[in-house]
Amino acid sequence: MATIAFDQVEPDMQLPSITRHVDQRVITRNATASLDYNPIHVDPVWAKKVNLLGKGTTIAHGMCTFSFMTSVITDWCYSNGGFISRMESKFIVPVRPGDIITCKGVVTEKHPRRSTKSFVVVELTAENQNNEIVAVAKATVTLPSA
Amino acid sequence: MNDEIRIEDFLITKKQKEFEYDFFKKAEEYEKWEDVDFDGVYESERTFVVEEEDIKAYSEGILDDNFLFNDREAAEKGPFRALTAHPLFLTSVGFWLTGDSGPGSWVRTPGAINPGQVIEFYEPICLGDTIRATHRFHDKWIKRGKRYLTYVTEYFNQKDQMVAKWWITLILPRSKGEESHNF
Repeated sequence: MATIAFDQVEPDMQLPSITRHVDQRVITRNATASLDYNPIHVDPVWAKKVNLLGKGTTIAHGMCTFSFMTSVITDWCYSNGGFISRMESKFIVPVRPGDIITCKGVVTEKHPRRSTKSFVVVELTAENQNNEIVAVAKATVTLPSA
Repeated sequence: MNDEIRIEDFLITKKQKEFEYDFFKKAEEYEKWEDVDFDGVYESERTFVVEEEDIKAYSEGILDDNFLFNDREAAEKGPFRALTAHPLFLTSVGFWLTGDSGPGSWVRTPGAINPGQVIEFYEPICLGDTIRATHRFHDKWIKRGKRYLTYVTEYFNQKDQMVAKWWITLILPRSKGEESHNF
């Protein structure tokens, strides 16, 4: 697991990416973990019947994709005292069973502070196996000094 | 329901086993987009006592093996000095505190779609914490024919420190979740 300090970080720095294979087991397990049992996630028969998003399948939780994206940052800096202070996300394309999601992050801003904790802004993307961006997010991350 | 994949097979924790996972069961009682609009602040009746199994089950559910979220002994030597919850563990806290009726129950609406979220974090949630929440209506609007609803929920620990603030937004179906969102 990587460790990182504010002074070591520069804009355009790429964070290590993570890849997750999503199938119905992953989606249902995520439902039990998050307590979000919306049938659009866990009930393939209902999902096919209502066909909410056009392909008649269940879809993964947006918060599951968001969690994958968040883990890019927690893997990168939490063991060294980094902390996410704000995140915002936008879900663009539904994630479906069978998708392979790769989450990437890049440091886009660096905010040095003397009296409070210095922080960086990381922009995140989640991309499926067809190179479609399925979600984007932006995180504000405080980092320890060197 | 899929023949091979049953929710019951994934229930691990006491909370998961106790939680009502049939979102159709009380669907008629959930708040509707048309009805939500109130002044003041509503406090959840329940609290979430954070246990080791809760933190670990969430990590497993998002395929995250970070030692801070999975290994109590190792995490106690880490920067937070305790087994720590993944930031989006807040999702399970939120559904637990909302329960299946009353203000905020619209988050259980079958067919609701998540367009994106905004969350601020102030303190980590760690093993042994007791989390409570307050909710208030923030906004509802129609955009390109879709009906959005946002609550602001603030989460506090047992020291009355705010641990997070979440602008929870969903796109809600018109009724019963049976109509197409026409994405």
